[in-house]
Amino acid sequence: MVTSDSAAHPGNPDEPALGTVHENLEGWVPAMATEEEIRGAFDKAFDYRGDLTLTLKDGRSIEGYIFDRRAKSESLDECVVRIMPKNDGAVRMTIRYSEIAGLAFSGRDTAAGKSFEAWVKKYNAKKAAGEKNIGIEPEPLD
Amino acid sequence: MPVPVSQMWTVASYVIKQKMKKRKHFPVVLMLEPLMRCNLACAGCGKIQYPAHVLKKNLTPEQCFQAAEECGTPMVSIPGGEPLLHPQIVEIVEGLLERKKYVYLCTNGLLLKEKLHLFTPSKYLSFVVHMDGQREHHDFSVCLEGTYDKAVAAIQEALQRGFRVTTNTTLFEGADPTSVRQFFDEMMDLGVEGLMLSPGYTYDKAPDQQHFLSKSKTRDLFRKILSNRRDSWKFNMSPLFLEYLMGRREYNCTPWGMPTYNIFGWQKPCYLLQDGYADTFAELIAETNWDEYGTESGNPKCANCMVHSGYEPSAVSHTFGSLSGFLATARATLFTRYKDPTVGSGPTPSRTSGPLVQITSSQA
Repeated sequence: MVTSDSAAHPGNPDEPALGTVHENLEGWVPAMATEEEIRGAFDKAFDYRGDLTLTLKDGRSIEGYIFDRRAKSESLDECVVRIMPKNDGAVRMTIRYSEIAGLAFSGRDTAAGKSFEAWVKKYNAKKAAGEKNIGIEPEPLD
Repeated sequence: MPVPVSQMWTVASYVIKQKMKKRKHFPVVLMLEPLMRCNLACAGCGKIQYPAHVLKKNLTPEQCFQAAEECGTPMVSIPGGEPLLHPQIVEIVEGLLERKKYVYLCTNGLLLKEKLHLFTPSKYLSFVVHMDGQREHHDFSVCLEGTYDKAVAAIQEALQRGFRVTTNTTLFEGADPTSVRQFFDEMMDLGVEGLMLSPGYTYDKAPDQQHFLSKSKTRDLFRKILSNRRDSWKFNMSPLFLEYLMGRREYNCTPWGMPTYNIFGWQKPCYLLQDGYADTFAELIAETNWDEYGTESGNPKCANCMVHSGYEPSAVSHTFGSLSGFLATARATLFTRYKDPTVGSGPTPSRTSGPLVQITSSQA
């Protein structure tokens, strides 16, 4: 796994970094044996642009989008993630790190493969084929 | 003046009142995102990259009103997603108008023409149509051909029906200053009230991470665009913020100036960064470590940001916070030419209908 470092600005070594190099985390099941691994995994989970599956120590499994994490405390028991479950739209759950046994990047990374370069490539190919009204349509939600 | 006097007076009196109360962390505009869903799929957008179950969620009108009342700003901007996809957007807008909020309803224009009849013209309501430049540039930027023409048709219809209309333009690396200036002419010829501008921001969640502007490039680009201005151009923005974009003045970021509320809560710390969410506006203000944000903080995520949501409130605060700021604003309002012999100001070339301009980085 690559770390989520900032990208260098093209052609401007003196400028502060621009952009973020996104890792391919889809399908990843991080090791969570040490505190460092646990904190690192939840940091990545917070930045991930898809759903994750949490397996709790009591055996429950929760799939959803992690939209917040509060991890400044030195005690893992005081650190939490906040998740919007996939199957319960009205609920926002708060779960302590210490209650979580496992984490899986189970959902699709919703931004992967959608770079501007990918659009340019698609546009040029369709234009060369003589197509009109070229564009990227939003993905269906169902 | 593009902005009604009543709106300027409302904002001015609000800011002065906050200053007199010695309130440091006061917001100016609420950024209300009632949904993340959009009918475009722009590569540079960091607002729509969510799983389907998140994109299906909407804020209720009551949640929107509660947010507006919690933070108390005189202006509410409704971005998204595409707000016109929200099934209760009319109710939300009407409720905010009843509360005497100046509402900026942002839209890409695709649905505007067919939904205009649902709204009533008001000095409190402006449609802000997202336009990233001339036809080819805009369609390429939003990754869908035909968008420009639909948006222009919607603007014309809205103006005809008596609505206030402004445009909002985000500029990325590779933007052509001459083309942008031509675009300003086109929009003013349509009859819009004013123009809004901002450099693009490197949203962490955006698919495209390579075409955002660095700070020096931002200043250079905006200097080229905004020097030697035409008298016909009107900007629905703080004139001092425009000077900031041109590199004529420096401001520190005011990340709490345009707080964002959406389906996750109050976004920490600002409209652009997502470092988590607070459940209430009071919690957002009290529990965010504001020293960690802004260019001056050293935070790499803020290093290149010159975006309106952080720096326009700084300019507004400057205007109403000191005599020098007020005089600078008066000067910037009265003397708008910004002559710069080093920047080309020749006659606007006629429009071309050549191929799309491919925006490239130096690595491409």
